[in-house]
Amino acid sequence: MTATTTTPAPERRAEPTSRVREWLGSGILRDRAVLLLALIIVLLVAMSILDALGLTSGTFNSDYLASTLIAYVPLALLALAELFVITSGRGGIDLSVGSMVSLTGIVFAMLYQQVGLPLLVAVVLAVAFGALLGAINGVLTAYLGYPALITTLATFYAYRSIALVVSEQRPISGPEISEFYNAAKAVELPVIGGTLPLVPLGVFTFLIPVAIVAWFVLNRTTYGRKLYAIGTNDTAAQWAGIDTRRTRMMAYVTAGAISGLVGVYTVAQFASARPDAGTSGSGMALPAITIAVLGGVAITGGIGKLSGILLAALLIVWLNASILLVVPGNEGAQAQLLALGIVLLGASLLSNATIRRRQAGAPPRLAVPATAPGAPK
Amino acid sequence: MTTATEARAPQAVSMRRILPPIVTGQEVVLLVVLVVLWVLLGIFTPAFLTPGSIGPLLVQVAPIALIGVGMTFVIITAGIDVSVAGMIMVSAVVTARVLVSYDVPAIVAVALAIVIGAALGALNGVLIAYGRVHPIIITFGTANVFTWLGLRVFNSSTVNGIPSTLEFFGRGSAGSTLGVPHSFAIAVLAVAVAWWFLRYAKSGRNLYAIGGNQNAARLAGIKVQPRLVWVYLITGALAGLAACMIIATGTSTLDQSVGSGKELQVIAAVVIGGTSILGGRGSVVGTLLGAILVQTVVSGVTQLGWPTQLGFLFVGIFILIAVGTDIIRERARRARA
Repeated sequence: MTATTTTPAPERRAEPTSRVREWLGSGILRDRAVLLLALIIVLLVAMSILDALGLTSGTFNSDYLASTLIAYVPLALLALAELFVITSGRGGIDLSVGSMVSLTGIVFAMLYQQVGLPLLVAVVLAVAFGALLGAINGVLTAYLGYPALITTLATFYAYRSIALVVSEQRPISGPEISEFYNAAKAVELPVIGGTLPLVPLGVFTFLIPVAIVAWFVLNRTTYGRKLYAIGTNDTAAQWAGIDTRRTRMMAYVTAGAISGLVGVYTVAQFASARPDAGTSGSGMALPAITIAVLGGVAITGGIGKLSGILLAALLIVWLNASILLVVPGNEGAQAQLLALGIVLLGASLLSNATIRRRQAGAPPRLAVPATAPGAPK
Repeated sequence: MTTATEARAPQAVSMRRILPPIVTGQEVVLLVVLVVLWVLLGIFTPAFLTPGSIGPLLVQVAPIALIGVGMTFVIITAGIDVSVAGMIMVSAVVTARVLVSYDVPAIVAVALAIVIGAALGALNGVLIAYGRVHPIIITFGTANVFTWLGLRVFNSSTVNGIPSTLEFFGRGSAGSTLGVPHSFAIAVLAVAVAWWFLRYAKSGRNLYAIGGNQNAARLAGIKVQPRLVWVYLITGALAGLAACMIIATGTSTLDQSVGSGKELQVIAAVVIGGTSILGGRGSVVGTLLGAILVQTVVSGVTQLGWPTQLGFLFVGIFILIAVGTDIIRERARRARA
């Protein structure tokens, strides 16, 4: 017994160097962030060449790229919401994020415009309301044992319906909300101002704070470790003393709160609260899930990084913006669908093939990080 | 009790273990709920229980129930297909364009729609079975590609002046015999065939095995991948046929919103019908009842004079109730075992 427990020690000491060698040997495909970064660079270089040759209908420069970030904020935030839910495992997925965006947007506009609450109070209440909607998903999924796909399909219908009925299918707008539009528009950064392109304010007020908090929660708190643990192996996590239900429920609450924040953002973006903001067309949930998967979140749970989400959303937003320059008008908007589909299919098939090749060669490695509770010592 | 079980012939016991009862608990519950709903709606809106109201309701149920048959197969194998709306769109717009331009007979148009749907479904199936990526990811991807394809054929406008070639499936008098809409009859026929297939055919039983445990099914000698391709192909083919019904029940103009949101309606009908989203369990009869229930709720809300959108709140609640009772019964079953 003592022999078996002591033998892994030298192996562990050698890990950093072997990991670097492994990473170099495996090429770029293994790390999703590197793959995405490479794709973004390829896209930027290709577009710069096309722009230099005069084949684009508009100028492709940093100002244009920065201005498209206004669409980046909700996309990245909702994909982050999906990261929490999908990583929690047991078929975790949230189809209701778009409906929650619509409903919290309406509630926010009512509180801010019609009740006349101060902005900050209205935002906090809207986010709390989103968290409440997420908690309904969470209780049904984590405590009552509904499959997540069913829960969120049901609440997708329910929340969307409530948003449309409460608002009587009319957008809510008014002077206060029009003023609030400033929260989303492009600004010049103070201090370093003129040297950088104008970046939409929403990136700083909405995305970056949430991203920092999410990074901290996922990587530096016990909750984050618990989340990855229950997603990797629910039973093992339970035996390790983790309250799996509570942990899973909190993932849905987080997704709801982030959706609430996106609801507020869309009100700012459109200068009115549209009851179908998150559900018109094919909705916001499908792109969000697509970007999460593209960003390397494993649909089976337990694997997913913030960097993947941020880069995947950036790739899709800039790809869409580039397509509009090369293929103008309606056709361009349609070609964005094709691009999203092809990129998703390509990335998932490719990564699956590399995972399988690795599994065929090497013995499986523990997916639970060494710092997680219950990991082998 | 124990003596009675022991006295039963071993053959009978094993058959009972393999085949579920002909009508399962979920279907009885659904039937009771439907009857109660229809009676209540009949009391509060006198117009509800008339042929003039039930007929159109059944016509609207037909495409959902029809695709629901394929979706039940898919979900029994522990898969899912969210690209249904895209397949409907492509089949519908190509068929409508052909009808407008070439004046083909109905049978050719229907065959064309089915072949297009089957081809798109086969693409899903091949990518899922041989790419070994989770079906929801593959079909999210293909849904985007199919929608693009459909919009390209639409070419930024609507398809106008569709002839009434497909009136056989329509709402009008040509679309029903003795008060039964043809499209609904076809859906019921498809459900009957699928019911027999899932219950008695070897390849039908194989689908449950694949959904229960794909590895075990493979080790038991089931050709998992070809079966999966077939399942998605059939869903596509049925979506193609449903597209014909959707063209026939619409006006002579087809717009770009065709099929939109249908994938979730179909999945809702299937899960309300008692098919487990985790795979390995489910029935097409439940799916048919689920589709009727969803449409009854949506139409009923409109007829009561409530906001139309409120209907979908009830659809959501019904999904939770239906799956909730199923979860409770499943727990009781496991506790007994």
